[in-house]
Amino acid sequence: MSDNKSDEVSEKILNVARKNPKGISDKDMAAAVPELTSAELVAAINKLLQQGVFDLYNQGGSLLYRLKNQNSKQAIKGADNEEKVVYNLIEEAGNKGIWIRDIRIRSNLANTQLTKVLKSLEGKKVIKAVKCVNASKKKVYMLFNLEPDRSVSGGAWYQDQDFESEFVDILNRQCLRFLQQRADKIKNNPRGPIVGRTQSYATAAEVQKYITDLGISKVKLEVEDVITILNTLVYDGKAESNVYPDGNRVYRAIESLLPPPGLVQVPCGVCPLIHKCNSTGLITPQECKYMDEWLEQ
Amino acid sequence: MSRQLGRVVSQILNRYFGEIVEKVGNDLFMYGSKPMGMIIKSTGLPRTQVIESLRTLLKFDLATFEAKDVIVDYKLLPDNILLLIRYPRYLLQMKTKYGSEAEMLVEELLQQASCTATVLIVSVMNKYKDDKEKNLNIVKLKDTFISLATAGYIQQAPVAESNSEIPILVPVATIVPDLDVRELINAMNTNLNNVSDNIYWKVNYDRFHLDFRDEVMIKAVTRRIDDNAGELLKLMLEQMYLSSSSWASDSSPVPLTDLKDGCQRISDNMKNHVEQYLRVIEESTAFIRRTGDAGGGQYSVRIQHALIQLVEALCDHTVTERLGGKAARIFRLIRSKKYIEEDDIQKNAMLPNKECKELTYKLLEEHFISVQPMRKAASAGGMAKAIYLYHVKLHDVAHVIRDMCYRSLHNVMSVSRHTRVLNARLLDKKRRVRTIVHGMRLRGEPQQNIDDVRYIFCIYILRGAWTVEVLDTLTPPEVTSSAEAERRLNTLAASELHLDRELFILTSYFTYQR
Ligand code: SF4
Repeated sequence: MSDNKSDEVSEKILNVARKNPKGISDKDMAAAVPELTSAELVAAINKLLQQGVFDLYNQGGSLLYRLKNQNSKQAIKGADNEEKVVYNLIEEAGNKGIWIRDIRIRSNLANTQLTKVLKSLEGKKVIKAVKCVNASKKKVYMLFNLEPDRSVSGGAWYQDQDFESEFVDILNRQCLRFLQQRADKIKNNPRGPIVGRTQSYATAAEVQKYITDLGISKVKLEVEDVITILNTLVYDGKAESNVYPDGNRVYRAIESLLPPPGLVQVPCGVCPLIHKCNSTGLITPQECKYMDEWLEQ
Repeated sequence: MSRQLGRVVSQILNRYFGEIVEKVGNDLFMYGSKPMGMIIKSTGLPRTQVIESLRTLLKFDLATFEAKDVIVDYKLLPDNILLLIRYPRYLLQMKTKYGSEAEMLVEELLQQASCTATVLIVSVMNKYKDDKEKNLNIVKLKDTFISLATAGYIQQAPVAESNSEIPILVPVATIVPDLDVRELINAMNTNLNNVSDNIYWKVNYDRFHLDFRDEVMIKAVTRRIDDNAGELLKLMLEQMYLSSSSWASDSSPVPLTDLKDGCQRISDNMKNHVEQYLRVIEESTAFIRRTGDAGGGQYSVRIQHALIQLVEALCDHTVTERLGGKAARIFRLIRSKKYIEEDDIQKNAMLPNKECKELTYKLLEEHFISVQPMRKAASAGGMAKAIYLYHVKLHDVAHVIRDMCYRSLHNVMSVSRHTRVLNARLLDKKRRVRTIVHGMRLRGEPQQNIDDVRYIFCIYILRGAWTVEVLDTLTPPEVTSSAEAERRLNTLAASELHLDRELFILTSYFTYQR
């Protein structure tokens, strides 16, 4: 597609969109530019999405594209040159955002001036600062109406840049429960252990469906998210994973090879003072409260 | 050798042989090896007592000696001292595998350290001849002795070669003896000193340890997969004894056809799915490995590898209990990734940044993980930040855990010693009463009398021809508190055995690491 032609196409789509402020579906778009093949259409839509012209909505199972309000563009109209430069840089960075240091280097503005510009843009609600999950001190700027990228916001596990560990814990437990329900299938299976093992395996997609059906998650979890959780189970030693011939990862709940060993059955094994406990001195086994309590039972 | 080991060893010697032997043992432990004169000097004990102690230690194989010219150096064998704790386990093994005759024989042999077959059988006979319940007979004892010798649970003791003044112990190959029942019966009725039997026997710990090792592995596979898998592994281990040395790190390969023959005996389900089971065991535990394709596939047992995994499981449990499940997650994550950066830990473990860091440092502090700084070579000068890679050195962690086991064992033993001292009078009394009750039973006294003594309400019991004077009595509060003390002692004893089981796995692991 030449640039000219693609501009033309974009313009046509935008026209339709402007007429329907409630949003349009991809069928409407196809109708607007019937001469395009579906692949070309998709390319065009993607381009528009990238430019951040559309917001994407899910309505009654079908996707709706709605034109974003163009205030920001207009807001910038009245701005001075510095603001325009900075705005453009930020716009270019898309939903990944741009770091203040990079803006400074690329805009050639002095530090104080740049802060002032950013302040004013922020005040006009044209841009926003987003805390980056990877580096807590690092802030990135992006256009106000953009949804931050996963790498910035951290995806499903973050709420306002705070890691939601309780949420992860709950998911971790639910996944395990799901795997455990079928874990026993391998035991003495009359059709042999391989069939048994296959029956006790679960794919990430199955687990994802189970979790979604449970309805414990406010956000939609992708299969990748569930894989991340399942992997924590593997690191917990509560599951093993394997790869099917078709490349799908499967998971199975397992037992530890050993029952809790002797060390953790005595109070010393879990005692925080074990390295300070001696035959003489303040902490001795004879005087030990932990021992006493344990023997009381 | 660690200080903690020294403390445990000292406790054990104290319990089984008393304070003097403990003192000599401590002295030897501290200095490695030293001649008798030095021991007398540093312990300040009289010569006769030191000699007596050394004799005991040598008799039970808890120390050795080495001649240098005319001086003899004595050396403690701490590993063997630790085995004293394991005696109950040996006996249990005998009882389950060969019945109570074997248990009695081994018990007697452990107590005597070494003795001839005749003496052994005769003393077991004499000991229990009054006991109607046991119903011993000498033929059965003899047969049991022979099967134990054949299976290698007992072996011939090394003989002393005394060319010079200082004897050297030479191990001899065990020949299964041919014992004559008539001679044994003769020996029972005459003086034991006249018996001409001069082959000495002792317990072969190693044989027991093989059993224990197999048991641990089989149980692990059973836990992970199912009973059939356990049976299959058992079969493979049995095959291993036929073809490779028993402590080899990998067994020599067994062809599938042999395994199929063996499985026929177990169950139909097994027979049809041998190959599947082999694959599942291999993939899920890596205790075995397919080594070749000849004869439908060759499989070998990876003992060393299995022990590594078992020790890993021990580490996991320990970390989980000490620092919590989250720390264990980090620990395993680091172990599975070999080397990993701090940021990546956080990402994979799905923990909040702060908590993750805290736990990582705690793991570091307890020496469960180690860290290796890596300078980025030849990058732009001062800007280059060193990266820190975390990793798990299993060997070191196993050491840490072993030390903790020693410590705990010492603590448990010393608490039990303390309890015993505190309740000495009470427990002693109880024992005496118990002996009386036992005596009455054997004599067939009516139950009524026995109960009387048990709860001792009367001080004098006069019945028929037999008179007992029970001077010490147990009052009801004494009965409760002695029961309480005994309950505590039992709990402690059980933990000792559990700790010993863990130590066994660790020790076996270390034998392969050398
Ligand atoms: S004896 Fe008590 S203080 Fe000492 S290590 Fe054990 S539990 Fe801790």
